[in-house]
Amino acid sequence: MAGSNGIEVEDLVREFKGGLRAVDGVSLRVCEGEIYGFLGPNGAGKSTTVLMLTTLLPITAGTATVAGFDVARQGPLVRSAIGAALQEAALDPYLTGTEHVRLQAALHGMPRKEGRRRGDELLERVGLVEAAGRKVGGYSGGMKRRLDLALALLHGPEVLFLDEPTTGLDPQSRQALWEEVSRLATDEGVTVFLTTQYLEEADALADRIGIIDDGKIVAEDTPEALKAQIGRPSVEAVPQDPAELESLGDVLGRFGSPVAASSGAVAVRLERGAGELAEVVRALDGAGVGVSSLRLDAPTLDDVFLEKTGRSLEGESEDAAEETPA
Amino acid sequence: MLFFSVALAVARRQVYRVFTKLSFFLPSLFPVLFFLAFAGGLTRVGEVPGFDFPAGYEAFQFVWVLLQAVTFGGAFTGFAIAGDFESGFARRLLLAAHRREGIILGYILASLVRVTFTGLLVAVSAYLVGMQVLGGGVDLFGLVGLALLLNFSATLFATGIALRLRTQQASPLIQTPLFLMLFLAPVFVPMPLLEGWIEAVAAVNPLTFLLEAGRSLIIGEPAGVWFAYGVGAALALVLLGWALTGLRRAERSGS
Repeated sequence: MAGSNGIEVEDLVREFKGGLRAVDGVSLRVCEGEIYGFLGPNGAGKSTTVLMLTTLLPITAGTATVAGFDVARQGPLVRSAIGAALQEAALDPYLTGTEHVRLQAALHGMPRKEGRRRGDELLERVGLVEAAGRKVGGYSGGMKRRLDLALALLHGPEVLFLDEPTTGLDPQSRQALWEEVSRLATDEGVTVFLTTQYLEEADALADRIGIIDDGKIVAEDTPEALKAQIGRPSVEAVPQDPAELESLGDVLGRFGSPVAASSGAVAVRLERGAGELAEVVRALDGAGVGVSSLRLDAPTLDDVFLEKTGRSLEGESEDAAEETPA
Repeated sequence: MLFFSVALAVARRQVYRVFTKLSFFLPSLFPVLFFLAFAGGLTRVGEVPGFDFPAGYEAFQFVWVLLQAVTFGGAFTGFAIAGDFESGFARRLLLAAHRREGIILGYILASLVRVTFTGLLVAVSAYLVGMQVLGGGVDLFGLVGLALLLNFSATLFATGIALRLRTQQASPLIQTPLFLMLFLAPVFVPMPLLEGWIEAVAAVNPLTFLLEAGRSLIIGEPAGVWFAYGVGAALALVLLGWALTGLRRAERSGS
């Protein structure tokens, strides 16, 4: 059971005009105080799922309860129980950070004193005290994200939805946001539903991960269990002589199928696991191919994604990050 | 309770934007320019044979400019709603609002504040150029009531369009019907002096009833006032449905 402050979704469907099914029978359970990572490439159905769970988009079919309330029939109660920071921070460039906090408190019907106290506390927590009096139009992308998070937390939500919260953020801001999200779940028992296309983010933050592709969940478990499903590590080698790259590829190809490798290197997933490494070294020696480095890599979430969908997420998330303005 | 806190929060932000951002504030001054141009430049229209308006041409024109100001106050509110959806800010309101109808009430309240300010500006300008008011306090109260009822209806009309289109491209669709309604009425001369197709159109234009009733109130000879209130109330009721169904559309769109 997800518990009263968790999320329960059963056969959730969202169909758009023309019959396009952006979300196609998604079922999942998120327990109280858990961080659930919803991982998938652009257009996989992550944001559409979040829009439905936050009552911003009607459900076509299926059922969903958030914090114990039915999303389709108890929208107002769901909205009172959740906080959400969506992909595009919904901020008014003509208002200051403080004015946003006051507006948000008033929208939630919080008493003025309580709203101010909580707002000041949150602005301090997200490091925006000094910028609070400035118009949001002059904020950087990272500052807007942090303000959005503070606003989402203002009324003390039981469930927090974060839709790609770190897209476009610099590494420092990303790390700070990760720490805050972890603290919220651990110290305050907030249930977090986090969509991301960053494997590293899902790996670092999520207690459990659901991988979504083409509107369907293709895998779901803890990051460790998902990686263990793959089981087989990969080996990457760099030839001493760059001209021997092809020969190196031929030798390694005998031990498994090729996977993405660094520039000037060759990598394969070892079909029979790490035990084959000694044989790889002997085969390279036998073929007279010298290597300057040989590395054994444990399976990653991208390997899981590749296994489940036949595509790699690494390149897609990098492309998306480059396209996203900071 | 939460319904009203949402409405007040939305209204406060909207009013704050209007009075702190020059580009939002400037349109509030247009009716004053209209009044000065029409009442000042066309004063001799009042001397046309058959033009019988005891309070003079300034008072005659003031009522139309007042109704024009409140109508366009509603239109500008529609532009603001469309802008909030286009920028994505509306999501904050939709996500936080316990009862989303409170968002519409908030925009209506902001519109009322805005047109109260504009109406006062036009009234002060009219008094400064020597407008005569023959009606008493109750008559003036009736005129203000008509103006606010019209603003309520115009805001609901603009809200309905803005919520359906959710983009700034809604602006011409909001503005054009209101503009036609305002000008296909006895703007410059009384109804009996209109002739031809304009007379036929003005005779069925709902604004005509409000305008004629308003003019009768300013000269202290109320005529057709209850009927005008009835027309205004009927318009408001229909347009309330229009705005609420617009809200449902916006909710279904996932904006």
